[in-house]
Amino acid sequence: MNQSKQKTGFMTNKKNNQFVTRIASYGILLTMTFLIIVPVLWMISTSLKSEDAIWDTPIEIIPSEPTLHNFKNLWSTHPFLQYLENSLIVVCSSTLISVAISTFAGYGISRFKFRGRGMYMSFLLATQLFPSIMLLIPYYKIFMTLGLIDNITALVITYVSFTIPFCTWMMRGYFAGISKDLDQAASIDGAGRIRVFTSVILPIAWPGVAATAIYAFIAGWNEYLFAMAFINTDTHKTVSLGIGQLIGEYRILWGELMAGALYALIPMAVIFIFFNRYLVSGLSAGAVKE
Amino acid sequence: MRSAFAKRESRSGYIFAGPAALFMFALVVYPMAYGIFISTQKTNLIDEWEFVGAKYYLQLISDSEFFSTLGTTGLFAALVVAGNMIIGLLLAVIVNQKIPLANFFKVILMLPWLFPETVVGLIWKWIFSPLFGLLNHALMSFNLIETETDILGRENTAFAGVVFVCIWKGYPIVMLMMMAGMKNIPQERYEAASIDGANKWQQFRHITIPGLRPIILVAVILETAWWFKHFTIIWLMTGGGPAGRTEVVSIEIYLQAFTNFNFGRAAAESVIILLILLVASFIYSRVLRDESE
Repeated sequence: MNQSKQKTGFMTNKKNNQFVTRIASYGILLTMTFLIIVPVLWMISTSLKSEDAIWDTPIEIIPSEPTLHNFKNLWSTHPFLQYLENSLIVVCSSTLISVAISTFAGYGISRFKFRGRGMYMSFLLATQLFPSIMLLIPYYKIFMTLGLIDNITALVITYVSFTIPFCTWMMRGYFAGISKDLDQAASIDGAGRIRVFTSVILPIAWPGVAATAIYAFIAGWNEYLFAMAFINTDTHKTVSLGIGQLIGEYRILWGELMAGALYALIPMAVIFIFFNRYLVSGLSAGAVKE
Repeated sequence: MRSAFAKRESRSGYIFAGPAALFMFALVVYPMAYGIFISTQKTNLIDEWEFVGAKYYLQLISDSEFFSTLGTTGLFAALVVAGNMIIGLLLAVIVNQKIPLANFFKVILMLPWLFPETVVGLIWKWIFSPLFGLLNHALMSFNLIETETDILGRENTAFAGVVFVCIWKGYPIVMLMMMAGMKNIPQERYEAASIDGANKWQQFRHITIPGLRPIILVAVILETAWWFKHFTIIWLMTGGGPAGRTEVVSIEIYLQAFTNFNFGRAAAESVIILLILLVASFIYSRVLRDESE
């Protein structure tokens, strides 16, 4: 085999290949970016147009007379501030409850051997397969009995039930990545199990807790079906439900709808800007570690 | 001595994991069992409770409309999951290369994941709108169509439109999972392969894919479960129409329960979905495990 000849041929080939790969990569990335950015800009553009400007031909991509009319109007025609308040109450409480419970459970599963542990873990994974809609009808009846229909407490309970399994799974993955030696060192010093957990492990696990909380928050903030089934009164609606139902009104005001969509995006934008790095690290810890 | 330790271990386990187990029992196990009970009842959930046994199940397995709804749902889920997996994996591989601006693209590509489903549904409904919608406008200005078409209102395009939007919303989570999975593949394997003359495709085929197999399995199972029961985007964009073309099973269950007040039948439908998902995930794990052996 003539090795030197083979090698030079291989080098130019490799360069060519690299060039082609690079062009193809950027081609795909730019196409995807276009498909993502255009709808976002279109949403912003529409929200800044007056009702008349939306129906202008030819369509204006950048509004010539931008106005905040839609943003203000939404506050006066719908109890939008109330929607935001409801959403925040429901989602913050459900996130708090579910993160607290699943942090404990995740620690317990990752550290202690107890009977039923394996079954418990399989059950947590299996809940991801349960169609959430399967809970819709029993929940409806249970909340009816408890007098919680049209009450946002019903949504808190529902969202806790959705998020505990996934959050527990994520926290378990995170704790599994923290060395058990730390626990042992602290226990030798005479600290009890709970003390070891709260004063030694929890402070280190903080990024994992943050990531888990973000997931629970996003899940609750986005939920629509159960809110639609359980809430009737306008002033009890969440943001997701409120803007979703604008479309059912007799005349669709796209400007106001897009303004509403932008309001719903505010917390997501905050999460994205400030907690971006937790999202990926939390996911890699929780989802990948076996 | 040993057993005292084990005893303390397991007591600690119960203390930590107990509250979550109680919550899961009260919020998931009990309601599911109750749901199965409701599926055997002719009921209005208030004062009418009549045991009808397997009546609704028998009704459903001989109902061609329910089967066509299941077919629609299966096709919808299959297309969305396939789209998400292919696009998500492809993009993860691309942004994982050390190329300029990779981080910038990572951020942009993640955006749809953060968009609430309601917002996604509404934006695209507006873009697809036959009246002054952006897509019609663009197609017309490039002379691709002559008159406005109601993409979501026509029987042959509505389904494709909905699938497209759900992939738009759904691929980033797959991309994130794959990116996380690729962090666990040792870089040396690629270096060794590239010294041996393996090209990008061969590296992808023989290092990346086998390295990602466990996370691909998890992603496919979760994705199938998520999209098989999907509701919000379709509900907002088409409401299941036109002529039932986009009526997936979650919409059918919702309408059966809250429009027809046929709670027993709706509950029976959800039990059937559960069984389908369990079987599907069992088959998946078998197939993917065999392949890796």
